[in-house]
Amino acid sequence: MSDMLLRMQGINKNFPGVQALKNAHFEVRRGEVHALIGENGAGKSTMIKIVSGVYQPDSGDIQIAGQAAHFGNPREAHLAGIATIYQELGLYPELSVAENIFMGHAPMKTRLGLRTIDWERMESGAEDLLAELNIHDLDVGAKVGALNVGNRQRVEIAKALSLDAQILIMDEPTAALTESDVEQLFSIVRLLRQRGVSIIYISHRLNEIFDLADRVTVLRDGETIGTQQVADTSEAELIRMMVGRKIETLFPKQMAQIGAVALELRNLHRPPLTRDISLSVRAGEIVGLAGLVGSGRSETAQVIFGVLPADSGEIIINGAPVTINKPSEAVAQGIGYVPEDRGRQGLIREMTIRENTSMAVLESVSRYTFINRAQEQSLASQSIEQLSIRATGTEQTTNKLSGGNQQKVVVSKWLASKPKVLIMDEPTRGIDVGAKAEIHRLMSRLAAEQGLAILMISSELPEILAMSDRILVMREGRLVGEFSRDEATQEAVAHAMMSEAARQAASAAP
Amino acid sequence: MQSAPRNPTRVDKLRHYLISQEGVLFFIMLVSVLLLATRTDKFLTVDNLLQQGRFMTEVGLIAIPMTYIIITGGIDLSVGSIMGLAAIVLGWSWQTLGFPLELAIITGVLSGTLAGFVNGLFIVRVGVPPLIMTLATLALFRGLAEGISQARSARGYPEWFYQLGQGELLGIPTQLWLLIVTVAVFGIVLARTQLGRALYAIGNNETGARFSGLTVNRYLLLIYTFSGFMAGVAGYIFVSRVSTTRSDMGAGIELDVIAAVVLGGTSIFGGTGSILGTTIGVVLIQLLKNGLTLSGLTSDATIVVIGSVLIFAILVNNFILSRRGNS
Repeated sequence: MSDMLLRMQGINKNFPGVQALKNAHFEVRRGEVHALIGENGAGKSTMIKIVSGVYQPDSGDIQIAGQAAHFGNPREAHLAGIATIYQELGLYPELSVAENIFMGHAPMKTRLGLRTIDWERMESGAEDLLAELNIHDLDVGAKVGALNVGNRQRVEIAKALSLDAQILIMDEPTAALTESDVEQLFSIVRLLRQRGVSIIYISHRLNEIFDLADRVTVLRDGETIGTQQVADTSEAELIRMMVGRKIETLFPKQMAQIGAVALELRNLHRPPLTRDISLSVRAGEIVGLAGLVGSGRSETAQVIFGVLPADSGEIIINGAPVTINKPSEAVAQGIGYVPEDRGRQGLIREMTIRENTSMAVLESVSRYTFINRAQEQSLASQSIEQLSIRATGTEQTTNKLSGGNQQKVVVSKWLASKPKVLIMDEPTRGIDVGAKAEIHRLMSRLAAEQGLAILMISSELPEILAMSDRILVMREGRLVGEFSRDEATQEAVAHAMMSEAARQAASAAP
Repeated sequence: MQSAPRNPTRVDKLRHYLISQEGVLFFIMLVSVLLLATRTDKFLTVDNLLQQGRFMTEVGLIAIPMTYIIITGGIDLSVGSIMGLAAIVLGWSWQTLGFPLELAIITGVLSGTLAGFVNGLFIVRVGVPPLIMTLATLALFRGLAEGISQARSARGYPEWFYQLGQGELLGIPTQLWLLIVTVAVFGIVLARTQLGRALYAIGNNETGARFSGLTVNRYLLLIYTFSGFMAGVAGYIFVSRVSTTRSDMGAGIELDVIAAVVLGGTSIFGGTGSILGTTIGVVLIQLLKNGLTLSGLTSDATIVVIGSVLIFAILVNNFILSRRGNS
């Protein structure tokens, strides 16, 4: 097609341990709003980082207006007319609106033989650019740091236009906006489309896509699933395309005897990401907590664990209300937390397996505060054996282990504390398939054989569906859906994660 | 496959100690002592070495909590000022307020402890970075000391008061006994107890330590308070040694202490270090100072040599660490 502005074909991109894009393709016409959607980790970010020159593909072709293009860095992409609207990252808060817009290409004049910035032309230029976007209420002399999020975003868009951008990439542009700002953003986007600017629009909010986009491309597991005219598709179809991820040899869940309520939350509240959360997890039960990145799952886990103490609400362990204001209190109440960020939160990477394994139970391997090396040693050896951690021995530092084995060390640290409740945040992220299955088998065994109550956060729907007895869905800090193991399907859960209408849908689910 | 954990043989252990940071430092110290001994025959004598033990006690005592603090990735710049403050409070409460001397000593040490507690409280509760907080109290505590002393020095203490700073016990300077016992106790505390383990964990990854349920804030508050306490004790010993109290006591000692700790192999970024290393660092610096002066070097030349040895030791350590990291 002659009006094809950007064409990407056969794009491959590998990162250590994961193939982010597999033979992906993507095309953008001149003057269209093209939405790019997919689950967390589907490859959207990688795709736009390749378009904007941040990453270079391992293989594949990129054409701009029919010409082969290769961007070695973001600047080359800029020069080719591709601009990205980041969330506030691209601006200098201490500089004025006009200075920000013309950063790097300010109009110059020569006075007394010196080249200096032509402030008058810069300010009038900035006013003209904003006027083109129908923005008349922004003072070009104001400091950007003093503006609200919506106005900062407008400055970013004006900056992109000052560079004659042909393709504008917007990554979750409405995430931080108020409703009236969203309206204004949409009208600017429509204005730009009329002028022939192409917009790549990434959003999890499907209703926005139906409002704004002309076409939509769905990515899943790094592959392009398909491109649709928005007018010819439906929310249900898009969700179907997004989910249905391949299920990697998951361990079959062992059905457990479900016991009494071990952990109960009543109206737990710490805005913005934990709002009025009430839930319960029973002994032997694995409850999956699904939701998009930023929906408040990890924050809620950290409220329970005392990292971010609750403003209000109750935490009840085995029927008794408890106060948890810091992690040490959570540990004392029998809560373990396998955190999302293994290297920063889960492990002390520079320390040995022995030292990490005993970290949460130092008291119990000590006498009169002196750590009993032999007892510690045997604890670590047991962990290595029981969880089959592949290591040279208890004295190996954990930064030398593979991701899966590091995760096992984190789990063994909490198992040593003999918890009643174990919160596992993305327990299998970034670890290989074999180790994943082992972690799943372990979780299943802990619940079934030891009656541990497990709250599992995961962004992988197949994992959530396979491991959970019950599934809870969070969106924007609230619980918006609950499914039993039998009624849950990838489509239904994904729908609850993404759709505004989820609350009704969840209650109406069969 | 899991290979069976291999028990280190005696040769392995010996090798481990020889190429450890402490081992290298000890070697550098031996070489220095031998070199200095060839330059002057006044250096390598029992009397001189014991005298040096007397002089290094204050730095040595303060270097113990400083090692703890630097292991957690923090720093305490205010120790010299706390030492001066404790000394002044001691002299002032005895001479001006008329406290019995025993009580004045306790008051002095307690004032140092309180000063350390204030440091810790602001660092833990308000989240002021240790460098900033203790830089501020470096000025603040010194100002307090000067304000209290009104430029008067307290002297004329009874004879028993000088026993700690000037006396001997079994032929060895009294305060050196204190230093030896303190080093042994707190060396073991660091290496063997929950506190020690927690300090290493905090220094390597404070977030990880918190997420493991360690009471990070409590430990930090404890060691900054401990630092104030030790600076207070050092202030007392200093007064006892020099027979007088002046408000500028301990000025600049923080740099000697930090130099010794870092020379002893404690990483300024936190996570590693030992009391043994710090002790060797303290001894090495003291012997260099003394030996070079006795050899007839001017004091500015002495400082240059000490600085060079510090850099050399750090280079050797880094070299060893990178070799180990690769193997």
